[in-house]
Amino acid sequence: MLIKLRAPGWYRAALFDVIGFAFAFGLVVLIRTLMHEHPVLDGYAITTVALIAVPLFFLVGLGVADYWFYWAAGKRTRPEDHSAHGARTWRDYFRVNTDHKVIGIQYVVTSFFFLLIGGLLAMLMRAELAQPGMQFVTPEQYNGLFSVHASLLIFLFVIPVFAGLANFVLPLMIGAPDMAFPRLNALSFWLLPIAGLMMLASFLAPGGSFASGWTAYAPLSTSLPLGQTFFTLAVQFAGASSIATALNFLVTIITMRAPGMSFFRMPLLVWANFSTSLLVVIATPFIAASQFFVLLDRALGFQFFNAFVGAGKNGNVIMYQHVFWFYSHPAVYIMMLPGFGIISEVLAVKARKPIFGYRMMAFSLLAIVVLGFTVWAHHMFVSGMAPWIRIPMMVTTAIIAIPTGIKVFSWLATLWRGVLRLDTPMLFALGFLTMFTLGGISGVMLAMIPFDIHVSATYFIVAHIHYVLFGGSLFTIFAGVYYWFPKMTGRMFDDRLGKLHFWLTFIFFNITFGPMHLIGIQGMPRRVADYAQQFATWNLIISLASFGLGLSTLVFLYNMVASWRGGPRAAANPWRALTLEWQVSSPPPIFNFDAVPTVVGGPYEYGVPGAVHGIFKSPAEARPTGTIATSPTPE
Amino acid sequence: MEASAISHAEHHGPPPAHRSSRVEAPLLGMLLFIISEVMIFGAFFTAYFFIRVVNHNPWPAPGTTLPEAVAGVNTAILLSSSLTLHWSLVSVKSGNRFGLKAGIASTFLLGLTFLFVQINEYVHIGFAPYQSAQASIFYGLTGLHGAHVFIGLCLLLMVTIRAFRGHYSPESHRGMEVPGIYWHFVDIMWVVVYTTVYVL
Amino acid sequence: MRKHPVVQLLLIGAIGTAIGLPIALAIPWFPAQAATQAHRIDTLYHVLLIVSVPIFVGVLSVVLYSVWKFRMKPGEEGKDGPPIHGNTRLEVVWTAAPAILIVALCTYAYTVLHANEVTKPGERTVNVIGEQFAWYFTYPSSPGKSVVTQQLYLPKGQPVVFKIHSRDVIHEFFVPAFRLQLAAVPGITTTLRATPDRLGVYSVVCNQLCGNGHATMRATVHVLTPAAFQAWLAKQPVQPSPGYSFSSTGGGAPAPAPAPAPSGKAGNGSATAAAGKAIFTGSGGCGACHTLADAGTTGAVGPNLGIRLVPDAKKRGLPLAAFINESITKPNAFIAPGYPAGVMPQTFGQTLTATQIQSLVAYLASVTK
Ligand code: HEA
Ligand code: HEA
Ligand code: HEC
Ligand code: CUA
Ligand SMILES: [Cu+2]
Repeated sequence: MLIKLRAPGWYRAALFDVIGFAFAFGLVVLIRTLMHEHPVLDGYAITTVALIAVPLFFLVGLGVADYWFYWAAGKRTRPEDHSAHGARTWRDYFRVNTDHKVIGIQYVVTSFFFLLIGGLLAMLMRAELAQPGMQFVTPEQYNGLFSVHASLLIFLFVIPVFAGLANFVLPLMIGAPDMAFPRLNALSFWLLPIAGLMMLASFLAPGGSFASGWTAYAPLSTSLPLGQTFFTLAVQFAGASSIATALNFLVTIITMRAPGMSFFRMPLLVWANFSTSLLVVIATPFIAASQFFVLLDRALGFQFFNAFVGAGKNGNVIMYQHVFWFYSHPAVYIMMLPGFGIISEVLAVKARKPIFGYRMMAFSLLAIVVLGFTVWAHHMFVSGMAPWIRIPMMVTTAIIAIPTGIKVFSWLATLWRGVLRLDTPMLFALGFLTMFTLGGISGVMLAMIPFDIHVSATYFIVAHIHYVLFGGSLFTIFAGVYYWFPKMTGRMFDDRLGKLHFWLTFIFFNITFGPMHLIGIQGMPRRVADYAQQFATWNLIISLASFGLGLSTLVFLYNMVASWRGGPRAAANPWRALTLEWQVSSPPPIFNFDAVPTVVGGPYEYGVPGAVHGIFKSPAEARPTGTIATSPTPE
Repeated sequence: MEASAISHAEHHGPPPAHRSSRVEAPLLGMLLFIISEVMIFGAFFTAYFFIRVVNHNPWPAPGTTLPEAVAGVNTAILLSSSLTLHWSLVSVKSGNRFGLKAGIASTFLLGLTFLFVQINEYVHIGFAPYQSAQASIFYGLTGLHGAHVFIGLCLLLMVTIRAFRGHYSPESHRGMEVPGIYWHFVDIMWVVVYTTVYVL
Repeated sequence: MRKHPVVQLLLIGAIGTAIGLPIALAIPWFPAQAATQAHRIDTLYHVLLIVSVPIFVGVLSVVLYSVWKFRMKPGEEGKDGPPIHGNTRLEVVWTAAPAILIVALCTYAYTVLHANEVTKPGERTVNVIGEQFAWYFTYPSSPGKSVVTQQLYLPKGQPVVFKIHSRDVIHEFFVPAFRLQLAAVPGITTTLRATPDRLGVYSVVCNQLCGNGHATMRATVHVLTPAAFQAWLAKQPVQPSPGYSFSSTGGGAPAPAPAPAPSGKAGNGSATAAAGKAIFTGSGGCGACHTLADAGTTGAVGPNLGIRLVPDAKKRGLPLAAFINESITKPNAFIAPGYPAGVMPQTFGQTLTATQIQSLVAYLASVTK
């Protein structure tokens, strides 16, 4: 038992949790005694400190940092024996593992877990909204529902699931044996469940879960009950996780590409994650800061957002929104660009044609990154900020339609005269093309200030959100999960069930979110549990369709679970794709490649007779041109 | 470094990756991390900007003063720690182990002194963060920086321990160069914070 | 005759647009238009639709056409498409065309914005104050004195400028019939301009999540003829103007204790007769037209609800509660004998939430039995 408690793992993690709580408790009591605060025992303060300390202790207990501690102390680091590399049983997925393939699957499964929870909360919301009046929940519970719904789906589903898919395929695609910092990679993953469970745990807090929406505008968020603190801190953990992963991706892409893989021979998924990671590294600190402000206001009585201090205005309320949206607008591209990458992969392979205008595809990603930082205030057209800021923001916002348009049109041109395999990944990719265009166009409408002044914060926005996030991001995620399922699990999924899933989702999705445009323009506000009689019919239809949408997810779940357990074995390259991840077995061998492949051509040369992307000879035999010579990597 | 080099020899691991860039991974990682750090300071400066400039609040809040002189001395302390750090790095490159140890230890101590003076300043400054938004910004910015000094000190402590245990050599000193970059960043950031908060 | 695929595609796109556009324009998108600003915004939206529908139909057509024409046919399992890597001319076109479109749209939107927000001569100032969870409107009269109401009354045809304030958190002053909204931000004053141009009663909605009672933070705006407005204003008592901030904390530290959930504030939660009475006399504004002994109102525009409800419900052949509900949400479904149709506002179904209406029904049913 003692050995179990000393070795990294769940037992030690549990023990450290207890120690962490005791630490938080002691620290608060100590400080409050020293500062002569009464009462010395303050549950609010203890919870706040514990929410920071316990997760950190947990991580150390689980063993994410053992190596670093030895290293920092100058001791002999235990040579990693790589017994943890690769997963042999399902238990290995519950350990700290530094294999990017295991981490990728850990990420994807965890995120889908949070999709189900977040979706379930949406079902509760729709049940309440099915009829006007209050039926199942109180207004404060309802506010909690959509806040947790959105926070889970954004911070614990869309952002990490993309990181997870990329974690699995990106090193393979660029011919690397692993990510640049495998241990940091493991840490990034383990921060996630912490953030998610913290958000969910807020339901147990006195006063209910956080209830200020995922945007958590101050000063509402500084005045709500304890549950809000759970959000404030959970976002820090999720944010730290995304920054660490993004760093890892950038370094991996820059320093670990196979010989011959110049930037313009990288698959577009790699480009997409490169761009996304830039966004993450630059923007995410802003949401961290915004939540630090809220936390300081809440916990230590800072006055960032108190506009009524002393004699008059002093704190600045709108500052929160600027800081928040400076992250959260780029965040919507963080939630879309990796999807663009997935679509490029799927379309090229399934249409059997090279991506049309490859370079423009890459450049438009970068253009979106740059423009993405210049548009944040389009969420604030009616916020009372200085009116002149609206005009430049309208223009930059609308300009984003141009690089996005280039991408959409290039995809369409990729389809043109191809030989389209209409299997499940392809159907989701095509669904994405149409639905995202619709959502993007409603986005451009929103950019037009006078129109936004009418529809801001109505269901028109809710419609836009779901067309871009569900019809956009989620469709690409489904496409990607189906597309790489054979590679990840070594099994084929059931294509008929996949198609059924697509059609159910596609139809119910449109019945659910399409009418929201209409009731939004007619004036139905978002974030209300009760609404005027005139919207009753549409809301009933929406609610019924949304239940269908929820059920369609079960088809997907069943397909995934059943195929993983008993699907037919997958060949190494069932789609006849050129990119490197398909050139190794399914699932890939433990160290990805026996010898580093050499890249000799573009990734999408479909239809070019005899085209190859990578060759699997040792670099000595296939000497690349124009790259730095191979040298042994120092640790 | 040595330790991991040994471990490579001892067991079979993944084949070494191809190096596709002249920049080394740890260095690049640190630079990217510093970009993130700059942005978080940027967010706090945004708050400063809104509360001081947009809101036209008097600075510092009426009835309070900021101890420019003490903080100035503290600035000097922190800047000199950058010099000692550089000395230590130059020493390790030329194989001067005494310079390495003395340099890194004095860097650590200077950093610790800075933090100590800063905490003392808080104790004696005469206003609390909850008294005004200006006070909140003051504590917010200097506190954020203090937290970074603390992180930097943790890194320096690691480097110091390892230096005293005989690690680092003229050939292999990445392990101290990378934390060193972070420490220089913390110093430069302090100059910016000092200028905006105390001087302007 | 077999046509070139591009020609076929263009044909499909044109047909799709020809079908889609009239449908899109025929949908009754908007609620009542009650301000000059609303007309411009509605036109803007229709222009946006005219631009968007062809774009969407275009994308859709390419996808459907490709699925139809280029899908893999049996026997093509090993076949690849032609290796087309790009086409510079095409790429320039699809970069430039949206760019031009966007410049045009932004310019147009800017002119609409400008026309809507420009200062007009003879503006009347109305202060709007948001507070968890109610709206207050004040009409400055003499310095330091104002008329303070919970209902917004505006004269038709006269430009107003709203000076919007908040006393606690952020709220948002939204009048769908004007197509206008703007946040009420603690610490600053925000400014919104409207020129009502249609008589009637419309809803005022709080459109920024502001706490538990957010959904019930509603009021109504009554657009009256200028004469009726003057008469109304003259009748209102003048009071000292209220401040825009709650009693300040005087610089002291707010105790960092968990704020208790502000529950049980006006009108949220379940429907009750007591809440109904508050709405009848307060935010619903029913008392202005109806006499009701229990509520102490004496309006004479509509029937005396205390004595007329039971017999009229019998005439209509509905249970009392159902009849009251119908009379509120669809007043013209049954006209009380001797009273004009179309006078009782048709909009309570929109301006009041379902809970508020249930409260009113509960209240009216309980006092007229
Ligand atoms: C994946 C997420 C995602 C994506 C990709 C986008 C993309 C865009 N969004 Fe969206 N947005 C959100 C998620 C996203 N959004 C969310 C979550 C909110 C609500 C936040 C909240 O308040 O809770 C929001 C809110 C939001 C607002 C604020 C509304 C308000 O609160 O008042 C605005 C306003 O400008 C806006 C605009 C846009 C624009 C212009 C794009 C563009 O990038 C779209 C570009 C794409 C196209 C235009 C389609 C393809 C292009 C063509 C086919 C070319 C030709 C087209 C034209 C010439 C028009 N979005
Ligand atoms: C990726 C992001 C994402 C996704 C996928 C969804 C998915 C859904 N959303 Fe969400 N939504 C947001 C992001 C998202 N949403 C955001 C950002 C907001 C704004 C919040 C705010 O205002 O702050 C929002 C707000 C929002 C609202 C507005 C609330 C309000 O303003 O009052 C509504 C209302 O209908 C809604 C509904 C739905 C529905 C019906 C789904 C459906 O697609 C869900 C489908 C259901 C499932 C996928 C789960 C199915 C699971 C089961 C059937 C059970 C499985 C079993 C177990 C777990 C045991 N959402
Ligand atoms: C502008 C004046 C006006 C206002 C304000 C008004 N009403 Fe009326 N109401 C009328 C008139 C006129 C009638 C009679 C014509 C009719 O039945 O439509 C009427 C009829 C009714 C009736 C049916 C009475 C019967 O015996 O047939 C009910 C119930 C009623 N009103 C309730 C309300 C309630 C509740 C409110 C507030 C939410 C309200 N009214 C606000 C003018 C008004
Ligand atoms: Cu006030 Cu919502
Ligand atoms: Cu945005």
